[in-house]
Amino acid sequence: MPRKTAPPRGQKRATKSVTGRPAVSTPRRAEPRVSEFPRGKSGVSEPRRSVNRPPTNRAGQAAPAPTDPIEQLYARGLTDGLPVVPPTRERVQRALDALGRPADELIALVPPNYGRATVEKIAINAVMAGCRPEYLPVVMAAVEAVCDEAFDLHGVSATTNAPAPLVIVNGPIRLALDINCGAGVFGPGWRANATIGRALRFVCVNLGGAVPGVVSMSTLAHPGRYTYCIGEREEASPWESLAVEHGFAPADNTVALLAADAPITVYDQRSRTAPDLCATIAATMAVIENHKMTHWGDTLLVLSPEHAAIIAGDGWHKADVRRFLFERLRRPVRELVPGKNGGDGLPEHVLRKFADPAHNATLIPKFREPENIKVVVAGGSAGRFSAVVAGWSFSKGSNLVMRRIR
Amino acid sequence: MTEYLDPTDSVAVPRKTAPRPSSLDGKVVTLLDISKAKGDHLLDRLEELLRERTGVKSIVRKKKPTFARPAPEPLRQEILGATDVVIEALAD
Repeated sequence: MPRKTAPPRGQKRATKSVTGRPAVSTPRRAEPRVSEFPRGKSGVSEPRRSVNRPPTNRAGQAAPAPTDPIEQLYARGLTDGLPVVPPTRERVQRALDALGRPADELIALVPPNYGRATVEKIAINAVMAGCRPEYLPVVMAAVEAVCDEAFDLHGVSATTNAPAPLVIVNGPIRLALDINCGAGVFGPGWRANATIGRALRFVCVNLGGAVPGVVSMSTLAHPGRYTYCIGEREEASPWESLAVEHGFAPADNTVALLAADAPITVYDQRSRTAPDLCATIAATMAVIENHKMTHWGDTLLVLSPEHAAIIAGDGWHKADVRRFLFERLRRPVRELVPGKNGGDGLPEHVLRKFADPAHNATLIPKFREPENIKVVVAGGSAGRFSAVVAGWSFSKGSNLVMRRIR
Repeated sequence: MTEYLDPTDSVAVPRKTAPRPSSLDGKVVTLLDISKAKGDHLLDRLEELLRERTGVKSIVRKKKPTFARPAPEPLRQEILGATDVVIEALAD
Protein backbone atom coordinates (compact mmCIF):
# COMPACT_ATOMS: atom_id res chain seq x y z
CA MET A 1 0.00 0.00 0.00
CA PRO A 2 1.17 3.53 -0.63
CA ARG A 3 2.19 5.44 2.40
CA LYS A 4 2.08 9.14 2.87
CA THR A 5 5.25 10.99 3.67
CA ALA A 6 6.00 14.54 4.64
CA PRO A 7 6.55 16.90 1.71
CA PRO A 8 10.21 17.44 0.92
CA ARG A 9 11.94 20.51 2.20
CA GLY A 10 11.04 23.68 0.37
CA GLN A 11 8.05 22.18 -1.39
CA LYS A 12 4.43 22.88 -0.61
CA ARG A 13 2.79 20.10 -2.51
CA ALA A 14 3.76 16.53 -1.74
CA THR A 15 5.09 14.72 -4.76
CA LYS A 16 2.84 11.87 -5.67
CA SER A 17 4.70 8.63 -5.44
CA VAL A 18 4.68 6.09 -8.20
CA THR A 19 3.39 3.52 -5.80
CA GLY A 20 0.59 5.90 -4.88
CA ARG A 21 -0.93 5.67 -8.33
CA PRO A 22 -4.04 3.59 -8.76
CA ALA A 23 -3.19 0.08 -9.79
CA VAL A 24 -3.67 -0.79 -13.43
CA SER A 25 -7.01 -2.55 -13.34
CA THR A 26 -6.99 -4.26 -16.70
CA PRO A 27 -4.44 -6.93 -17.43
CA ARG A 28 -1.80 -5.83 -19.89
CA ARG A 29 -2.14 -7.28 -23.32
CA ALA A 30 0.86 -8.63 -25.06
CA GLU A 31 1.86 -6.62 -28.11
CA PRO A 32 0.57 -8.28 -31.24
CA ARG A 33 3.00 -9.75 -33.71
CA VAL A 34 3.40 -7.68 -36.83
CA SER A 35 1.12 -10.02 -38.73
CA GLU A 36 -1.64 -9.31 -36.21
CA PHE A 37 -1.59 -5.53 -36.49
CA PRO A 38 -4.88 -4.17 -37.79
CA ARG A 39 -4.36 -3.34 -41.45
CA GLY A 40 -5.76 -0.30 -43.15
CA LYS A 41 -6.16 -0.08 -46.88
CA SER A 42 -2.84 1.60 -47.35
CA GLY A 43 -0.67 -0.19 -44.86
CA VAL A 44 -0.07 -1.37 -41.36
CA SER A 45 -1.35 0.49 -38.31
CA GLU A 46 0.78 1.04 -35.25
CA PRO A 47 0.28 -1.33 -32.37
CA ARG A 48 -1.66 0.39 -29.62
CA ARG A 49 0.30 1.29 -26.56
CA SER A 50 -0.52 3.21 -23.43
CA VAL A 51 2.06 5.12 -21.46
CA ASN A 52 1.61 2.65 -18.65
CA ARG A 53 2.32 -0.34 -20.81
CA PRO A 54 5.97 -1.23 -20.85
CA PRO A 55 7.43 -1.72 -24.31
CA THR A 56 9.29 -4.79 -23.15
CA ASN A 57 6.23 -6.77 -22.05
CA ARG A 58 5.78 -9.99 -23.94
CA ALA A 59 3.33 -12.86 -23.62
CA GLY A 60 4.67 -16.03 -22.13
CA GLN A 61 7.08 -14.39 -19.73
CA ALA A 62 7.03 -15.50 -16.14
CA ALA A 63 5.39 -12.87 -13.97
CA PRO A 64 8.10 -10.77 -12.33
CA ALA A 65 8.40 -10.77 -8.58
CA PRO A 66 6.08 -7.93 -7.49
CA THR A 67 8.56 -6.77 -4.86
CA ASP A 68 11.53 -6.43 -7.21
CA PRO A 69 12.04 -2.65 -7.58
CA ILE A 70 13.53 -2.99 -11.05
CA GLU A 71 10.53 -4.99 -12.25
CA GLN A 72 8.09 -2.60 -10.57
CA LEU A 73 9.48 0.25 -12.61
CA TYR A 74 9.31 -1.83 -15.78
CA ALA A 75 5.69 -2.62 -14.97
CA ARG A 76 4.95 1.11 -14.71
CA GLY A 77 6.36 1.73 -18.17
CA LEU A 78 9.02 4.02 -16.72
CA THR A 79 12.10 2.65 -18.42
CA ASP A 80 13.73 2.99 -21.81
CA GLY A 81 13.98 -0.79 -22.02
CA LEU A 82 17.07 -0.93 -19.82
CA PRO A 83 16.72 -1.11 -16.04
CA VAL A 84 16.52 2.21 -14.19
CA VAL A 85 17.79 3.17 -10.76
CA PRO A 86 14.76 3.25 -8.43
CA PRO A 87 14.12 6.92 -7.58
CA THR A 88 13.87 6.62 -3.83
CA ARG A 89 13.33 9.75 -1.78
CA GLU A 90 16.81 9.33 -0.28
CA ARG A 91 18.55 9.21 -3.65
CA VAL A 92 16.61 12.17 -5.01
CA GLN A 93 17.24 14.16 -1.84
CA ARG A 94 20.99 13.54 -2.13
CA ALA A 95 20.88 14.94 -5.65
CA LEU A 96 18.85 17.96 -4.53
CA ASP A 97 21.19 18.60 -1.58
CA ALA A 98 24.20 18.56 -3.89
CA LEU A 99 22.51 20.95 -6.30
CA GLY A 100 21.37 23.41 -3.64
CA ARG A 101 18.45 24.79 -5.66
CA PRO A 102 14.81 24.84 -4.52
CA ALA A 103 13.05 21.59 -5.42
CA ASP A 104 10.01 23.40 -6.79
CA GLU A 105 11.95 25.85 -9.00
CA LEU A 106 10.53 25.60 -12.50
CA ILE A 107 13.27 25.13 -15.09
CA ALA A 108 11.08 24.70 -18.19
CA LEU A 109 7.85 23.36 -19.63
CA VAL A 110 8.73 20.36 -21.78
CA PRO A 111 7.03 20.11 -25.20
CA PRO A 112 4.92 18.63 -26.60
CA ASN A 113 2.85 17.88 -23.45
CA TYR A 114 4.37 20.82 -21.55
CA GLY A 115 4.99 18.90 -18.36
CA ARG A 116 6.62 21.00 -15.64
CA ALA A 117 10.32 20.33 -15.38
CA THR A 118 10.96 21.45 -11.81
CA VAL A 119 14.34 20.94 -10.23
CA GLU A 120 12.90 17.97 -8.31
CA LYS A 121 11.33 16.34 -11.37
CA ILE A 122 14.58 16.65 -13.28
CA ALA A 123 16.45 15.21 -10.29
CA ILE A 124 14.09 12.21 -10.17
CA ASN A 125 14.69 11.50 -13.85
CA ALA A 126 18.44 11.99 -13.44
CA VAL A 127 18.53 9.52 -10.54
CA MET A 128 16.63 6.98 -12.65
CA ALA A 129 19.13 7.47 -15.47
CA GLY A 130 22.01 6.70 -13.09
CA CYS A 131 23.44 10.22 -12.72
CA ARG A 132 25.75 11.11 -9.87
CA PRO A 133 24.46 14.17 -7.97
CA GLU A 134 27.20 16.39 -9.40
CA TYR A 135 25.94 15.79 -12.95
CA LEU A 136 22.67 17.58 -12.20
CA PRO A 137 23.78 21.07 -13.31
CA VAL A 138 24.64 19.70 -16.75
CA VAL A 139 21.26 17.98 -17.03
CA MET A 140 19.46 21.17 -15.94
CA ALA A 141 21.23 23.23 -18.60
CA ALA A 142 20.45 20.60 -21.23
CA VAL A 143 16.75 20.65 -20.28
CA GLU A 144 16.71 24.45 -20.50
CA ALA A 145 18.30 24.28 -23.95
CA VAL A 146 15.95 21.71 -25.49
CA CYS A 147 12.94 23.61 -24.17
CA ASP A 148 14.08 26.80 -25.92
CA GLU A 149 11.68 27.60 -28.76
CA ALA A 150 14.62 27.61 -31.19
CA PHE A 151 15.24 23.90 -30.54
CA ASP A 152 11.68 22.95 -31.52
CA LEU A 153 11.43 19.97 -29.16
CA HIS A 154 7.81 19.58 -30.19
CA GLY A 155 8.94 18.68 -33.70
CA VAL A 156 11.98 16.70 -32.54
CA SER A 157 9.86 14.54 -30.25
CA ALA A 158 6.97 13.99 -32.65
CA THR A 159 8.57 13.71 -36.11
CA THR A 160 8.65 10.54 -38.19
CA ASN A 161 12.32 11.40 -38.82
CA ALA A 162 14.96 10.15 -36.38
CA PRO A 163 16.60 12.96 -34.39
CA ALA A 164 17.74 12.66 -30.78
CA PRO A 165 18.97 15.57 -28.65
CA LEU A 166 22.79 15.41 -28.63
CA VAL A 167 24.51 17.12 -25.68
CA ILE A 168 27.94 18.63 -26.44
CA VAL A 169 29.76 19.79 -23.32
CA ASN A 170 32.45 22.48 -23.26
CA GLY A 171 34.52 23.92 -20.43
CA PRO A 172 36.49 22.70 -17.42
CA ILE A 173 33.50 20.73 -16.12
CA ARG A 174 34.29 18.04 -18.72
CA LEU A 175 37.41 17.15 -16.76
CA ALA A 176 35.80 17.62 -13.33
CA LEU A 177 32.97 15.21 -14.18
CA ASP A 178 35.07 12.85 -16.34
CA ILE A 179 32.95 13.45 -19.43
CA ASN A 180 34.54 11.52 -22.26
CA CYS A 181 35.94 13.65 -25.06
CA GLY A 182 38.51 11.14 -26.29
CA ALA A 183 38.65 7.54 -27.47
CA GLY A 184 35.23 6.13 -28.20
CA VAL A 185 33.57 9.48 -27.55
CA PHE A 186 30.17 8.40 -28.90
CA GLY A 187 30.40 4.97 -27.29
CA PRO A 188 29.83 3.36 -23.91
CA GLY A 189 32.04 3.23 -20.85
CA TRP A 190 31.74 6.66 -19.24
CA ARG A 191 29.11 7.14 -16.59
CA ALA A 192 28.77 10.89 -17.14
CA ASN A 193 28.17 10.64 -20.88
CA ALA A 194 25.90 7.62 -20.52
CA THR A 195 23.70 9.01 -17.78
CA ILE A 196 23.52 12.73 -18.64
CA GLY A 197 22.21 11.93 -22.11
CA ARG A 198 19.86 9.33 -20.69
CA ALA A 199 18.52 11.73 -18.05
CA LEU A 200 17.67 14.26 -20.74
CA ARG A 201 15.91 11.54 -22.70
CA PHE A 202 13.86 10.56 -19.62
CA VAL A 203 12.82 14.20 -19.15
CA CYS A 204 11.67 14.37 -22.79
CA VAL A 205 9.60 11.20 -22.34
CA ASN A 206 8.35 11.46 -18.75
CA LEU A 207 7.70 15.21 -18.69
CA GLY A 208 7.42 15.99 -22.40
CA GLY A 209 5.35 12.95 -23.32
CA ALA A 210 7.65 11.69 -26.10
CA VAL A 211 6.61 8.07 -25.62
CA PRO A 212 7.80 5.95 -28.57
CA GLY A 213 4.92 4.84 -30.77
CA VAL A 214 2.42 7.08 -28.96
CA VAL A 215 3.62 10.66 -29.39
CA SER A 216 7.09 10.04 -30.75
CA MET A 217 6.33 8.58 -34.16
CA SER A 218 9.86 8.21 -35.52
CA THR A 219 9.86 5.56 -38.21
CA LEU A 220 13.34 4.27 -37.35
CA ALA A 221 14.85 6.45 -34.58
CA HIS A 222 18.49 5.61 -33.75
CA PRO A 223 20.50 4.36 -30.78
CA GLY A 224 21.27 7.93 -29.65
CA ARG A 225 17.75 8.00 -28.28
CA TYR A 226 19.02 5.90 -25.37
CA THR A 227 21.70 8.44 -24.58
CA TYR A 228 23.71 10.95 -26.61
CA CYS A 229 26.33 13.09 -24.90
CA ILE A 230 29.90 13.99 -25.79
CA GLY A 231 32.53 16.46 -24.70
CA GLU A 232 34.68 18.50 -27.07
CA ARG A 233 38.35 17.55 -26.70
CA GLU A 234 39.45 21.13 -26.33
CA GLU A 235 42.96 20.12 -25.27
CA ALA A 236 43.56 18.43 -28.64
CA SER A 237 41.99 21.14 -30.75
CA PRO A 238 44.12 23.60 -32.74
CA TRP A 239 41.24 26.09 -32.64
CA GLU A 240 38.75 27.82 -30.37
CA SER A 241 36.12 25.57 -28.85
CA LEU A 242 32.51 25.49 -30.00
CA ALA A 243 31.56 27.49 -26.90
CA VAL A 244 34.20 30.19 -27.44
CA GLU A 245 33.13 30.49 -31.09
CA HIS A 246 29.63 31.22 -29.81
CA GLY A 247 30.70 33.98 -27.45
CA PHE A 248 31.44 32.12 -24.21
CA ALA A 249 34.71 32.37 -22.29
CA PRO A 250 37.13 29.40 -22.17
CA ALA A 251 36.42 29.07 -18.44
CA ASP A 252 32.65 28.88 -18.96
CA ASN A 253 30.94 25.52 -18.75
CA THR A 254 28.32 25.10 -21.45
CA VAL A 255 26.09 22.63 -23.20
CA ALA A 256 25.19 22.80 -26.88
CA LEU A 257 22.11 20.86 -27.93
CA LEU A 258 21.64 19.57 -31.45
CA ALA A 259 18.65 17.58 -32.71
CA ALA A 260 20.92 15.00 -34.21
CA ASP A 261 21.01 11.97 -36.44
CA ALA A 262 23.40 9.12 -35.72
CA PRO A 263 27.06 9.83 -36.51
CA ILE A 264 28.35 8.81 -39.94
CA THR A 265 32.02 7.86 -39.99
CA VAL A 266 34.33 9.55 -42.49
CA TYR A 267 37.30 7.29 -43.20
CA ASP A 268 40.29 9.06 -44.69
CA GLN A 269 43.73 7.63 -43.95
CA ARG A 270 45.60 9.10 -46.87
CA SER A 271 44.82 12.80 -47.20
CA ARG A 272 47.68 14.98 -46.04
CA THR A 273 46.34 18.41 -46.94
CA ALA A 274 43.32 20.37 -45.79
CA PRO A 275 41.68 20.53 -49.25
CA ASP A 276 42.14 16.79 -49.81
CA LEU A 277 40.67 15.86 -46.44
CA CYS A 278 37.82 18.36 -46.65
CA ALA A 279 36.92 17.03 -50.09
CA THR A 280 36.44 13.58 -48.55
CA ILE A 281 34.37 15.05 -45.71
CA ALA A 282 32.26 17.03 -48.17
CA ALA A 283 31.34 13.88 -50.06
CA THR A 284 29.94 12.40 -46.86
CA MET A 285 28.08 15.60 -45.97
CA ALA A 286 26.59 15.69 -49.46
CA VAL A 287 24.31 12.76 -48.65
CA ILE A 288 22.85 14.16 -45.43
CA GLU A 289 19.10 13.34 -45.46
CA ASN A 290 19.46 12.48 -49.14
CA HIS A 291 21.86 13.39 -51.92
CA LYS A 292 19.54 16.09 -53.23
CA MET A 293 18.52 17.71 -49.93
CA THR A 294 19.35 21.42 -49.92
CA HIS A 295 19.15 24.47 -47.61
CA TRP A 296 19.94 22.32 -44.60
CA GLY A 297 20.69 23.85 -41.23
CA ASP A 298 22.85 23.20 -38.19
CA THR A 299 24.94 20.07 -38.51
CA LEU A 300 27.94 18.85 -36.54
CA LEU A 301 31.32 17.87 -37.95
CA VAL A 302 33.41 16.00 -35.38
CA LEU A 303 37.06 16.06 -36.43
CA SER A 304 39.38 13.57 -34.78
CA PRO A 305 42.60 15.06 -33.39
CA GLU A 306 44.62 13.61 -36.29
CA HIS A 307 42.29 15.03 -38.91
CA ALA A 308 42.19 18.39 -37.13
CA ALA A 309 46.00 18.46 -37.11
CA ILE A 310 46.13 17.87 -40.88
CA ILE A 311 43.74 20.74 -41.51
CA ALA A 312 45.42 23.11 -39.05
CA GLY A 313 48.81 22.12 -40.51
CA ASP A 314 47.78 23.92 -43.70
CA GLY A 315 47.01 27.04 -41.69
CA TRP A 316 43.25 26.57 -41.97
CA HIS A 317 40.87 27.65 -39.23
CA LYS A 318 37.35 26.38 -38.61
CA ALA A 319 35.98 29.21 -40.76
CA ASP A 320 38.08 27.98 -43.69
CA VAL A 321 36.68 24.47 -43.26
CA ARG A 322 33.14 25.82 -43.21
CA ARG A 323 33.68 27.98 -46.28
CA PHE A 324 35.30 25.14 -48.25
CA LEU A 325 32.52 22.70 -47.39
CA PHE A 326 29.76 25.25 -48.03
CA GLU A 327 31.08 26.08 -51.50
CA ARG A 328 31.90 22.52 -52.49
CA LEU A 329 28.45 21.32 -51.43
CA ARG A 330 26.55 23.56 -53.83
CA ARG A 331 25.03 21.78 -56.80
CA PRO A 332 23.36 23.01 -59.99
CA VAL A 333 19.57 22.91 -60.18
CA ARG A 334 19.75 20.44 -63.06
CA GLU A 335 21.28 17.82 -60.72
CA LEU A 336 18.60 18.35 -58.08
CA VAL A 337 15.48 17.81 -60.16
CA PRO A 338 13.08 15.19 -58.78
CA GLY A 339 12.75 12.11 -60.95
CA LYS A 340 16.31 12.24 -62.26
CA ASN A 341 18.79 10.12 -60.30
CA GLY A 342 16.19 9.59 -57.59
CA GLY A 343 12.57 10.57 -57.16
CA ASP A 344 13.17 13.17 -54.46
CA GLY A 345 14.73 16.55 -55.07
CA LEU A 346 14.01 20.26 -54.97
CA PRO A 347 10.51 21.06 -53.73
CA GLU A 348 7.95 22.50 -56.15
CA HIS A 349 8.08 26.03 -54.74
CA VAL A 350 11.82 26.18 -55.53
CA LEU A 351 11.51 24.54 -58.95
CA ARG A 352 8.93 27.15 -59.95
CA LYS A 353 11.64 29.81 -59.76
CA PHE A 354 13.43 28.31 -62.76
CA ALA A 355 12.08 28.26 -66.33
CA ASP A 356 13.87 25.07 -67.32
CA PRO A 357 15.12 23.30 -64.17
CA ALA A 358 16.39 20.24 -66.08
CA HIS A 359 19.04 22.41 -67.76
CA ASN A 360 19.56 25.17 -65.20
CA ALA A 361 23.08 25.64 -63.78
CA THR A 362 22.22 27.90 -60.82
CA LEU A 363 24.08 26.62 -57.77
CA ILE A 364 21.90 25.65 -54.79
CA PRO A 365 23.65 25.23 -51.43
CA LYS A 366 23.40 22.11 -49.27
CA PHE A 367 23.57 24.34 -46.19
CA ARG A 368 21.81 27.65 -45.78
CA GLU A 369 24.96 29.33 -44.39
CA PRO A 370 28.58 28.23 -43.80
CA GLU A 371 27.90 28.91 -40.09
CA ASN A 372 25.41 26.03 -40.05
CA ILE A 373 28.40 23.68 -40.14
CA LYS A 374 29.46 23.37 -36.49
CA VAL A 375 32.98 22.00 -36.03
CA VAL A 376 34.33 20.34 -32.89
CA VAL A 377 37.38 18.21 -32.20
CA ALA A 378 36.80 14.97 -30.31
CA GLY A 379 37.83 11.33 -30.24
CA GLY A 380 40.97 9.30 -29.67
CA SER A 381 44.46 10.54 -30.40
CA ALA A 382 45.05 7.77 -32.92
CA GLY A 383 42.93 7.35 -36.00
CA ARG A 384 42.17 9.24 -39.15
CA PHE A 385 38.43 9.12 -38.76
CA SER A 386 35.96 11.91 -38.36
CA ALA A 387 32.18 11.91 -38.06
CA VAL A 388 29.31 13.86 -39.55
CA VAL A 389 26.27 14.27 -37.32
CA ALA A 390 23.40 15.71 -39.30
CA GLY A 391 20.99 17.99 -37.52
CA TRP A 392 17.22 17.83 -37.95
CA SER A 393 17.40 21.30 -39.29
CA PHE A 394 14.90 22.18 -41.98
CA SER A 395 14.47 25.89 -42.42
CA LYS A 396 12.08 26.93 -39.62
CA GLY A 397 13.00 23.67 -37.86
CA SER A 398 15.47 22.94 -35.06
CA ASN A 399 18.60 24.98 -34.37
CA LEU A 400 21.65 24.37 -32.19
CA VAL A 401 20.94 25.90 -28.76
CA MET A 402 23.60 26.66 -26.14
CA ARG A 403 23.28 27.27 -22.41
CA ARG A 404 25.74 28.08 -19.66
CA ILE A 405 25.88 25.43 -16.94
CA ARG A 406 25.06 27.09 -13.62
CA MET B 1 6.98 -1.23 0.06
CA THR B 2 9.64 1.30 -0.83
CA GLU B 3 8.34 4.62 -2.05
CA TYR B 4 9.51 5.88 -5.41
CA LEU B 5 9.07 9.44 -6.55
CA ASP B 6 7.09 10.07 -9.70
CA PRO B 7 9.25 11.14 -12.70
CA THR B 8 6.19 12.29 -14.66
CA ASP B 9 4.00 15.36 -14.34
CA SER B 10 0.51 14.20 -13.52
CA VAL B 11 -0.97 17.53 -14.65
CA ALA B 12 0.37 17.27 -18.18
CA VAL B 13 -1.98 14.65 -19.53
CA PRO B 14 -2.40 14.15 -23.25
CA ARG B 15 -5.24 16.26 -24.61
CA LYS B 16 -8.56 14.66 -25.48
CA THR B 17 -9.95 14.93 -28.98
CA ALA B 18 -13.05 17.06 -29.52
CA PRO B 19 -16.44 15.34 -29.85
CA ARG B 20 -17.19 14.27 -33.43
CA PRO B 21 -20.29 15.62 -35.20
CA SER B 22 -22.77 13.01 -36.40
CA SER B 23 -23.15 14.76 -39.75
CA LEU B 24 -21.25 17.34 -41.81
CA ASP B 25 -24.45 18.93 -43.11
CA GLY B 26 -24.36 22.70 -42.68
CA LYS B 27 -20.88 22.60 -41.16
CA VAL B 28 -17.90 24.80 -41.96
CA VAL B 29 -14.91 22.53 -42.64
CA THR B 30 -11.29 23.72 -42.58
CA LEU B 31 -8.74 21.71 -44.51
CA LEU B 32 -5.33 22.34 -42.99
CA ASP B 33 -2.26 21.72 -45.14
CA ILE B 34 0.79 21.16 -42.92
CA SER B 35 3.18 22.07 -45.78
CA LYS B 36 4.40 18.57 -46.49
CA ALA B 37 5.05 17.58 -50.09
CA LYS B 38 1.82 16.63 -51.87
CA GLY B 39 -0.39 17.37 -48.88
CA ASP B 40 -2.39 19.61 -51.22
CA HIS B 41 -3.09 16.62 -53.52
CA LEU B 42 -4.76 14.80 -50.67
CA LEU B 43 -6.72 17.85 -49.55
CA ASP B 44 -7.85 18.70 -53.11
CA ARG B 45 -9.36 15.25 -53.41
CA LEU B 46 -10.91 15.45 -49.95
CA GLU B 47 -12.49 18.78 -50.87
CA GLU B 48 -13.98 17.24 -54.03
CA LEU B 49 -15.40 14.33 -52.07
CA LEU B 50 -16.78 16.53 -49.30
CA ARG B 51 -18.59 18.72 -51.84
CA GLU B 52 -19.84 15.67 -53.72
CA ARG B 53 -21.03 13.57 -50.81
CA THR B 54 -21.91 15.91 -47.95
CA GLY B 55 -23.97 19.00 -47.33
CA VAL B 56 -21.11 21.09 -45.94
CA LYS B 57 -21.86 24.79 -45.66
CA SER B 58 -18.39 25.81 -46.78
CA ILE B 59 -14.81 24.62 -47.02
CA VAL B 60 -11.92 26.78 -45.88
CA ARG B 61 -8.32 26.04 -46.90
CA LYS B 62 -5.48 26.94 -44.53
CA LYS B 63 -1.76 26.17 -44.48
CA LYS B 64 0.84 25.88 -41.73
CA PRO B 65 4.12 27.72 -42.43
CA THR B 66 6.08 24.51 -41.72
CA PHE B 67 5.36 20.91 -40.82
CA ALA B 68 8.29 21.00 -38.40
CA ARG B 69 6.50 23.12 -35.81
CA PRO B 70 3.02 23.42 -34.30
CA ALA B 71 0.59 25.75 -36.06
CA PRO B 72 1.12 29.36 -34.89
CA GLU B 73 -1.34 30.51 -32.24
CA PRO B 74 -3.06 33.12 -34.48
CA LEU B 75 -3.73 30.45 -37.11
CA ARG B 76 -5.14 28.12 -34.46
CA GLN B 77 -7.41 30.84 -33.12
CA GLU B 78 -8.52 31.74 -36.62
CA ILE B 79 -9.51 28.14 -37.32
CA LEU B 80 -11.12 27.73 -33.91
CA GLY B 81 -13.30 30.81 -34.37
CA ALA B 82 -14.58 30.07 -37.86
CA THR B 83 -14.80 26.31 -38.12
CA ASP B 84 -16.93 23.40 -36.95
CA VAL B 85 -14.59 20.67 -38.24
CA VAL B 86 -10.89 20.66 -39.13
CA ILE B 87 -9.16 18.04 -41.24
CA GLU B 88 -5.36 18.09 -41.15
CA ALA B 89 -3.38 16.46 -43.93
CA LEU B 90 -0.26 14.52 -43.05
CA ALA B 91 1.18 13.53 -46.36
CA ASP B 92 4.42 12.56 -48.06
